[in-house]
Amino acid sequence: MNLSKLIKILVLRNIKEEKFLTFLSIIGIALGVGLFTGVKVASDRAISSFESNIKGTSSYANYEVLDISGIDFNEHVYRNVREIEENSFPLLKVFGYIPEIKEAININGIYTVKTIRFLNISTLADIDFENYYRQINGILITKKFSDKHSLKRGDLLKPLVYDKEFNLKIVDILDTDSLLSNTVVMDIGNFQEYFKKTGYLSGIDLDTNEKTIEQLKNILPSNLRVEKKEEIFKNQKALIASFRYNLQFVSLIAILVGIFLLYSTVFVSVVKRRTEIGILRSLGADKKTIILLFTIQGMVLGLIGSILGIVFGQFAAYFSVIAVEKTISTMYSTISISDYLITKSDVLTALTLGLVISLIASAVPSFESSKIRPNESSREGSFEGKYRKHQKYFFLVGVLIIFSGVILSYLDYTYTPFDFPFLAYLGILLIIAGFTFVSPFYLSIILKIIKRPMEIIFKAIGRITVGDIKGNIYRFSVALMTVAISSALIIALFTLIFSFRGSLKGWINKYITADVYIKPASCRSNYCFYPMSEEVINKVKSYSEVSGVDKFRALQLELFGRKVVAGFADIKVKREISGKRYYESEYDEVLKEMEGVEKVAGISDYLSLKYGFKKGDLIELGTPSGREAFRINDIFSSYSTTSGFVYLDRKWLKEYWGLDDATQISVYVKDGVDVDLFIDKLKERLLPEYSLEIMNNQELR
Amino acid sequence: MHFSAHLVPINIRKCFEILISGTHMIELENIEKSYGNTKVLKGINLEINKGEFISVMGSSGSGKSTLLNLVGGMDRPERGRIIIDGENITSYTDEELTLYRRKKVGFIFQFFNLLPNITVFENIMMPLLLNGSEDKKTGLEYIKRVGLEEKQNAYPYQLSGGEQQRVAISRALIHNPEIILADEPTGSLDSETEKKIMELIKQLVEETEKTVILVTHEHYIAEYAGRMLRIKDGIIF
Repeated sequence: MNLSKLIKILVLRNIKEEKFLTFLSIIGIALGVGLFTGVKVASDRAISSFESNIKGTSSYANYEVLDISGIDFNEHVYRNVREIEENSFPLLKVFGYIPEIKEAININGIYTVKTIRFLNISTLADIDFENYYRQINGILITKKFSDKHSLKRGDLLKPLVYDKEFNLKIVDILDTDSLLSNTVVMDIGNFQEYFKKTGYLSGIDLDTNEKTIEQLKNILPSNLRVEKKEEIFKNQKALIASFRYNLQFVSLIAILVGIFLLYSTVFVSVVKRRTEIGILRSLGADKKTIILLFTIQGMVLGLIGSILGIVFGQFAAYFSVIAVEKTISTMYSTISISDYLITKSDVLTALTLGLVISLIASAVPSFESSKIRPNESSREGSFEGKYRKHQKYFFLVGVLIIFSGVILSYLDYTYTPFDFPFLAYLGILLIIAGFTFVSPFYLSIILKIIKRPMEIIFKAIGRITVGDIKGNIYRFSVALMTVAISSALIIALFTLIFSFRGSLKGWINKYITADVYIKPASCRSNYCFYPMSEEVINKVKSYSEVSGVDKFRALQLELFGRKVVAGFADIKVKREISGKRYYESEYDEVLKEMEGVEKVAGISDYLSLKYGFKKGDLIELGTPSGREAFRINDIFSSYSTTSGFVYLDRKWLKEYWGLDDATQISVYVKDGVDVDLFIDKLKERLLPEYSLEIMNNQELR
Repeated sequence: MHFSAHLVPINIRKCFEILISGTHMIELENIEKSYGNTKVLKGINLEINKGEFISVMGSSGSGKSTLLNLVGGMDRPERGRIIIDGENITSYTDEELTLYRRKKVGFIFQFFNLLPNITVFENIMMPLLLNGSEDKKTGLEYIKRVGLEEKQNAYPYQLSGGEQQRVAISRALIHNPEIILADEPTGSLDSETEKKIMELIKQLVEETEKTVILVTHEHYIAEYAGRMLRIKDGIIF
């Protein structure tokens, strides 16, 4: 058999002839593959960016000493750590944001002499270290970053760091693969002096073993802990896991729609070409050849769709990277993903996926095509007729599958809400499969119902239409399922969005109550852990328009080995001023309790669901002075972080953490003050000196 | 290699079948076939010699097309045996029947049954392609024989009915099958074209010494054959 020639004239030419169906299935596959690739690239890059952030400049280190609250700590501890482990590398880290190029940078103050040799720099000998040490704002940037933004030696970067704008001078460019592209290296001495962080460290990287770690634990003050880098990465990865899974599941549904479209195309092609298949069979084409021809037709469409999908995926990757970067930065931790290009392995995955799904989609119709007998070419409808008698059986099987799907999804929702939702996904796929089985019977019932009205309204055309659908019930069922899945996906997304909007609105009304919000402009996340300048707070307090300032402090806490965000607010200010405007009496009671002397805290729904906390339970929080138990007096929805949120009064911050600073402030103005004019005044007076983000209540909402 | 040699191992039964069949190319023994409750063929017995051109005449529903389908290996009888060139094809598997159609049979249909999306030349070449050959020379030779060399790149819908049937005739002969089965080959043609087509079929099958079964309901078409048979209510007269 001359297969290549047969493929050329029977498959490729048919694809060319069937322009509309070809277009439809190619687009279907392209969208599925494209979305999948885009989401994959975005989440892969996000994870790799996470990983690089954690590894930082010291990919050789396996442990890190950190403050339990996620803030900088006193450098004196380094001396003690070094005595036990020589391979220790002090580090100061901060994120900066460069509005000019809309890019976040990760500024690393390193103990240069000790660390630089580990950065695998090919041009180490040529680095201008003299200027690097001599210039207080001297930095080294990566070659990738310099290429991306056409930066050269001597250029100035103007990042917003903490609540000010700084000038960083590029002294040299590092040609290394061991650093993430947006990493900026500075000598730790210069960092401390230039950013006014003298005497502080963000962490100490360690290349050591477990035995030494045990020794270290004994000498570390209670506000510090040692973490395995691998564990930090695992935790960070787990944070965005659900985000990644959900995105991928949406793209899998898109793939499913693509499969249905391709299935539909090959199936319609088989039905339309029944006579041709009959002719070929009468001329001596065997079943295998027929199966092969239609499978190849599906695979060719799949291949073209996949190639288009890769192009589409590149666009999707670009926009997904922006969206993922923004979401993760806001909700979890600042990341900067500069690499959104699809790699060879992504292309290979996309092609394999496209071919596998086209094989799945074309397998059934191809197999059906082989059943066409050589003498069947003149008997219209016999193809469909064979299945009609199984309709009720298919219906029952479908109902059973839907039922199993619902049970699996419910079990997942009830028993494992925080693990990978394997059962829920399987359940959804089963529900889709079940509906696919049910659809021919369902369509038959609908046809029975609409037959008479169709005949009355549309006369002969109505009768012909109903008859045609009835005669081709399986083909129409496939089309029905394609539309049903796409519509279900759209409806589900809209429901999700509107439900989210509804509850978010409630949350906003309860918590976004101040008139003006001020935070450092470099802070791109909902919560940053570095303090604002006290001068800014005092200046704002001094304005006559201000009736109160709620100094808010975000910290990291450890709860059952996971990091959660703690927010310390000035409950008295909040309750006295905004309570008059917004609160219901019940919530006022909650705040009153918080304001009192009893140790009480509010927790987010997430913590309540995950750890089974109820109102009245005690929650133990790790503080530098040891573990402290707080009674839970409020459980609320939190849309500002997905890692869990604990809400406390500021007095506990001072008492147990020894801090009295703020990471952002909420300002309440006196009655009758024009908030917009007041914000203009704040901007005029504060922005020349400080880099701040100043928003009114509406903007933040 | 002879077709039967690599398909069915030679055994005593087969040797016996060859011995008793003599020079018969086609033998039907007590063939019965029903569609649902309707018995279409009721014990057909027929012997056709190698190179013989026979016609089977009958009205619609008499069972003539069913008979052709059975001989062509496109369907199976419920009872009886069909022996082709000494081989009982009723015992063939689906794969063997496919191979039988591919190698031994050429079909000419009433509605031409050309593949619509491929050219005249490609339609004619199809049996060769299915047999693993791409002998363009033979293809061109057959196109010339039916006088369509100028239309070899045309598509079936660009041809007249007579031209389409000439393509179908070429396609039926190109792979040199031993049996030609023609099912009302002029049924959808005008009388002038009908005559031309019948003369072409007769000339070509005589030149190539094929065994031909032609079914028709027209007496004057049936007269082109060397032997005329009638079929009525599933019985041959």
